[in-house]
Amino acid sequence: MENIDKLYEAILKGNLPLAVEMTKMAIEQKMDPKSIIDNYMSKAMDEIGSRFENGKAFVPELLMSARAMKGALELLKPMLANSDIPRAGTIVIGTVKGDLHDIGKNLVASMLEGSGFEVINLGVDISSEKFAASVVEHKANILCLSALLTTTMNYMKEVIRAIEAAEIRNQVRIMIGGAPISSAFAKEIGADGYSSNANAAVSVAKQLLAV
Amino acid sequence: MTSKETVLQSLNHKSGGRIPVDFGATSVTGIHCRVVEALRRYYGLENRPVRIIEPFQMLGEVDEELQKIIGVDVVGIWGRQNMFAIDETRLHEQVTPWGQTVLVAEGIDLTPDKNGDVYIYAKGNRSFPPCAVMPEACFFVNAIERGGAVDDENLSVSDNLEEFGYISDEDLSHFAREADKAAATGAAVVAAFGGTALGDIAFVPGMGLEQPKGIRSVPEWYMSTVLRQDYISQIFEKQTDIAVENYRLLWEKIGNKVDVVFTCGTDFGTQTSQFCSVETFNELWLPHYKRMNDWIHQNTSWKVFKHCCGSIVPLIPSLIDAGFDILNPVQINAKDMDSQRLKDEFGDSVTFWGGGIDTQKVLPAGTPGEVREHVRKQCGIFGKNGGFVFNSVHNIQANVPIENVVAMIETLSELK
Ligand code: B12
Repeated sequence: MENIDKLYEAILKGNLPLAVEMTKMAIEQKMDPKSIIDNYMSKAMDEIGSRFENGKAFVPELLMSARAMKGALELLKPMLANSDIPRAGTIVIGTVKGDLHDIGKNLVASMLEGSGFEVINLGVDISSEKFAASVVEHKANILCLSALLTTTMNYMKEVIRAIEAAEIRNQVRIMIGGAPISSAFAKEIGADGYSSNANAAVSVAKQLLAV
Repeated sequence: MTSKETVLQSLNHKSGGRIPVDFGATSVTGIHCRVVEALRRYYGLENRPVRIIEPFQMLGEVDEELQKIIGVDVVGIWGRQNMFAIDETRLHEQVTPWGQTVLVAEGIDLTPDKNGDVYIYAKGNRSFPPCAVMPEACFFVNAIERGGAVDDENLSVSDNLEEFGYISDEDLSHFAREADKAAATGAAVVAAFGGTALGDIAFVPGMGLEQPKGIRSVPEWYMSTVLRQDYISQIFEKQTDIAVENYRLLWEKIGNKVDVVFTCGTDFGTQTSQFCSVETFNELWLPHYKRMNDWIHQNTSWKVFKHCCGSIVPLIPSLIDAGFDILNPVQINAKDMDSQRLKDEFGDSVTFWGGGIDTQKVLPAGTPGEVREHVRKQCGIFGKNGGFVFNSVHNIQANVPIENVVAMIETLSELK
């Protein structure tokens, strides 16, 4: 079993082939998927996330770790689907209408996925109707909105209005982020959470759902 | 003093002159076409279609009338083709999805499809899939990534060099004509000759190519700056070879009719950090930048302009080492980018071309009074001892309040 330790390193270093190989081995050894995720994957994403937050790792390194993590997670997904292992929660994420920046949003999505959330990434330029419909369809616990432009950040208000109009506001927590966003703005528009980076986004999400 | 002299004095860090102003000379110091139209209306100028000078960001031409009103000291010269490799010398009238009549390159059709999206095709050639889209209710264009997954076994550096080539006689003559016209205005002249940006993420998808090959996806490119450093370095090496040869030809033909060359718009900063470490920058980018800039300084009178968004304080010493004379847009609202600190630490070695007005809070959301106060403060800090060309932090976006833009313009003219 000790070889599996390399899974942590593989994800931390962003080595996709090694991460896949190690995960296959773990599955063959009948390791519990939840413990693979908690003890190796999430830990590695935690570490790279905190290096990123502290300016010790950068966008390329985080992208590489995220890709390795996803490679491993793909292999575990069928097992998770067929089991009653509880996931941390379901999250719908997207960049709001009129905005096409997606690097940061995708990193947030990866960090959340790597820490055990089920993540539905809708992409960029997403309308309020689409966000609301997706929250309903996936019974999402959290809705994450990203905006990088001052010209699009106000659209977040519209999304929140659409969620209220669909009468699902009390079922979903809303988190927002992106370069021009601040916690004051989050408060002003009635969002539940904000973070300035992908790493802190995970703790905010966990706090919101108390997991 | 002429506009050109004012700019040169500031670029040479000499005090005494007034603060020179740029709006519209480059693709990173411009004004969105909606705001150009609103300004023309505000100042009672003739109602006519605004010319789209840069169709990716939908920047409008700051025409001679507006240049006068704003007090612009710099004019730009642009290539014969835009980033979609579409001819910019033949224009036609089109209506944008937001209902504005504009003059845009003939190869661009702004009619939306049934979903409200506008598609653009490389070289205007519709027999290949579109290279870019302006989605419904968007005010600018987004690249469409084509080319699929990277096959490392068959990856060849030439795949990522397809868009970079030696300058044609036609382009040389075009630039010579444009430089003559621009120099005759008495303003300082900035040129973007193209092809010299090293790894600018906006250009990585290859929007001017019908069938881009190589690494064309944004995340794959960023990862390659770690995973495939050799490959990237070879691209930069070859690009620099081409750039130097092109600059030699351009200098022979145009000489000091051009004052500033805008060579590279690669962004190294995010709101709170950098896209790479100082070590990676020094290894992967700096040697190539230095070779290009050294050649320019040893052989021409041109100053070199570098655009780089975000929080970049740790990288500024390396950018200066690499030989850049001018930094833009000076994103004073990003982490650690305090104006006074930038001026104190780097103001003697580099010119700040930008940072005149914050575009994340003040310009879009402040009051006209706040705009005035802020512009005065920024000019007070950056304008000391030259080394400053006034411009907003990056292009003025589509829906900023026109009264704030006017407050900025009026404050600038008061400062004169
Ligand atoms: C890279 C970049 C681009 C790339 C985008 C590529 C892509 N596929 O995304 C390109 C070159 C295409 C681009 C284009 C434009 N850009 Co741009 N771009 C940037 C830049 C330099 C970095 C953004 C980035 O990717 N950062 C890296 C990631 C990791 O950080 P992040 O996005 O901030 O995300 C982190 C946090 O914010 C947070 N977060 C993000 N989303 C969320 C969501 C939730 C729920 C949570 C909790 C957290 C969270 O976590 C992330 C990870 O830590 C910024 C500069 C800046 N200061 O941010 C300008 C910037 C955002 N761009 C700007 C502009 C204006 C544009 C343009 C409109 C054109 C223009 N210049 O006129 C075009 C628009 C075109 C388009 N097609 O959308 C301006 C916006 C100014 C304003 N007034 O708001 C900026 C600030 C630059 C500047 N100097 O002013 N851009």
